[in-house]
Amino acid sequence: MFSSARIVRKDRLEGFLERLLEDREVFAPVRKGGLVTLEMIDSVRDVILEYENTKESPKAAVFPQRETLFGYQAEKGKVALDVPRGKEKEQVLFGIRPCDARGLLLLDRVFGGDCGDPYYAEKRAKTLVLSLGCVNPNPTCFCHSMGGGPCSPEGSDLFFLDLGDRYMVEVGSDKCEALLEDEAFEDADEKSLALSEKIRKETEASMTPLALNENLKEHLGRLFDDPAWNALAETCLGCGICTYLCPTCHCFDLCDEAEGGTGERIRVWDSCQFPLFTQQASGFNPRPTVKERFRQRIMHKFSYLPETQAMLGCVGCGRCVIECPVNLDIREVMTSLSEGTVPA
Amino acid sequence: MAESGTWEPKIVAFLCNWCSYAGADLAGTSRMQYAPNVRIIRVPCSGRVDPFFILSSLQKGVDGVLVSGCHPGECHYLTGNYSARRKFALLKNLLEFAGIEEGRVQFSWVSASEGVRFAKVIEKMTAQIRDLGPSKKLVKTPPRGPLHAAVNKRFESVLTDRPPHPAPSPRDGGEG
Amino acid sequence: MSEMPSMETFVTTEIRETAGDLLRKNKVQVVIGFERGSIPLRSRPCFVRSEKDIDRLVWDGFCENSVARYVAKRDEKMALVAKGCDSRALVELIKENQVARDQVIIIGVPCRGMIDRSRVEALVAPRRILETEEKEDLLVLKGSDFEETVPRSDLLCDSCRTCTHPNPVLADILVGEPVVEEDQDPFDDIEAFDAMRPDERWAYLRNEVNKCIRCYACRNACPLCYCPECFVDTTLPQWIGKSTDTSDTMIFHLVRAYHLAGRCVACGACERACPVGVDIRKLNRKLLKDVRDFFGYEAGLSLDEACPLATFCPDDPEAFIMNP
Repeated sequence: MFSSARIVRKDRLEGFLERLLEDREVFAPVRKGGLVTLEMIDSVRDVILEYENTKESPKAAVFPQRETLFGYQAEKGKVALDVPRGKEKEQVLFGIRPCDARGLLLLDRVFGGDCGDPYYAEKRAKTLVLSLGCVNPNPTCFCHSMGGGPCSPEGSDLFFLDLGDRYMVEVGSDKCEALLEDEAFEDADEKSLALSEKIRKETEASMTPLALNENLKEHLGRLFDDPAWNALAETCLGCGICTYLCPTCHCFDLCDEAEGGTGERIRVWDSCQFPLFTQQASGFNPRPTVKERFRQRIMHKFSYLPETQAMLGCVGCGRCVIECPVNLDIREVMTSLSEGTVPA
Repeated sequence: MAESGTWEPKIVAFLCNWCSYAGADLAGTSRMQYAPNVRIIRVPCSGRVDPFFILSSLQKGVDGVLVSGCHPGECHYLTGNYSARRKFALLKNLLEFAGIEEGRVQFSWVSASEGVRFAKVIEKMTAQIRDLGPSKKLVKTPPRGPLHAAVNKRFESVLTDRPPHPAPSPRDGGEG
Repeated sequence: MSEMPSMETFVTTEIRETAGDLLRKNKVQVVIGFERGSIPLRSRPCFVRSEKDIDRLVWDGFCENSVARYVAKRDEKMALVAKGCDSRALVELIKENQVARDQVIIIGVPCRGMIDRSRVEALVAPRRILETEEKEDLLVLKGSDFEETVPRSDLLCDSCRTCTHPNPVLADILVGEPVVEEDQDPFDDIEAFDAMRPDERWAYLRNEVNKCIRCYACRNACPLCYCPECFVDTTLPQWIGKSTDTSDTMIFHLVRAYHLAGRCVACGACERACPVGVDIRKLNRKLLKDVRDFFGYEAGLSLDEACPLATFCPDDPEAFIMNP
């Protein structure tokens, strides 16, 4: 599926990144305030590649948390619009994990298609995904049960795998033709190809699959009114951590922020976990309690999105498992819904 | 709105109807001269003032906020100003702790007969705000528009012509 | 998973027996306590409604959530496994009529302080912890190729370090030995912060607030944030914008702290819930100090003391009032 592979020796990586920085924006994992986050770097020395995963997913690079759609000024019967100019430079997402790269594929489907979002499309077209495979997955990772894998190149323009003193690089698209001309890239040798296969197999084998129902989409559909949800959602705080840190969650709100006749229309992240999300003007809310909202998240990810976008709405990154303040574990939820047993 | 010339402080004052507002009115009817920088908003009682009034004012770029009520013991609603006193002791300290300059948010007691005092309060506060300079810390990033295009180079201005839509005026009985 | 040492084991057994007894005799419909989490360094809230599930209940140094958060406006008769801070939150909730006193049976547990898991992880990073074991005053951290023992006191949450009331102030049943209460002035950090220049303080808070992603975990984890409609959601008028704009977000934190003035019991659930490490408690603690200094009040200590912003004194502090 993926065309000819390359090698990049580790001592050449820094040079490659520096050349990238010359005419592109580069986002890479850095340590900031005690956390590992994906940030735009000025210096290659800030980049860290020995890490589990960034606190937040990379979706903000193509779907920012606050985005101005246009500015306006009404004056003497005329309306003047400020329309954002596009990105000047390409942006490279370097060192992100395979789960996050796959997450972008789901966002591509949601923001693409017939009702394509031009703001998303413009940024996405200028985004290069250079991901880094996982050779030591966190026990909370379950990408392999969500159609992905720790060494899956899916969604990446270039996929890097650590072979020790060098990286194996798989080419996933032709967006990187210009990049591949960089002196850091050499043709891959047989030994490297074999080693990368070995690492891939061993890493995948080290992860225990979740015991999920084979026909999850239909199975969940039948469970919509099941009382199981009451116990599952009981400890949920109803905050937005799971949705905001999730690489595939994409709900948003549109707001006008204005003073008099001058203002801007912005798009901001919203969360189905917030009570106002489905609040209607009449005061009625079809999802009045945490239970309905929690159920919505699960159904959307594992039943509705597979129906409408032919893809699961979860890539198994495990952020919601780690960050949930009450340790509501989506893996436990899915497993118990699959087998029909729920803790009392 | 473009401002020409030197900056003048913009102060919003929330005055309780029964005492401070009447005191301000007395200053006016007595033709007292005091700094013109204050915009008065009448509230029934200093206890009605929600901390949000103060924060929203600062967010919109107001340089100073004054809340003035009846002297303790003289509240028209008996205890409203006592509540206000507790609330604002905490709020003022919190805002100053956060780094909002001391003197931007102030509180006073002015009774209905204290026109002179009111004028002094305004004079003093205006002078203090003038020294502090324009308020910047809580100001929300101003909305973008053609006049602010220079602020953000990523924006291009596009002017559209829309036929003027005259708003109905209540005086002509709503003809549009 | 791991074996528990004597004090935690003792308390766990007592909690289970008490819970079983209450459920069997139908004195409560639900016991809200803690169970072992699904990943290392976690215990989490759990709702036990049947005697056959009492073995889910545990007590250890990772019971960091506020269980009092689940109490407001709940109709059921409930038992609560309450740390010191949980019991104080309950006192305030009872005073604010969010729950009736006779609706809650408080299983009070004197608390030695909860362990700050981010501090633990930072200690051994980049090594991964697979298992922990609590042994009296020590915490044993085990990974695939290492084992480290650390004094528990080195790993406590910030809010627990400054806690002055670890023993439940209100309890129907007390489980475990009372903890020695430190007679300390916990506000040195606030005084130090206050001594900084205003611009420095603003710069610090602005940096903190710029980390905020407006997930509202702090608000939702807080036992005293129970408003059916939070001020961030009002639309007539809309007080603050929904985005991560610095001004809006700063006002969110200022106002949330302010709405908790005289009500915050310093449990620290907010700071622990925050995924990006915002220093949320700074503002809360400033108000805790001022409420104590101005009105002589500390939240959560007495059912008989009136809430400070629902009352007043004729000679409340007035130094802040301008005299022209």
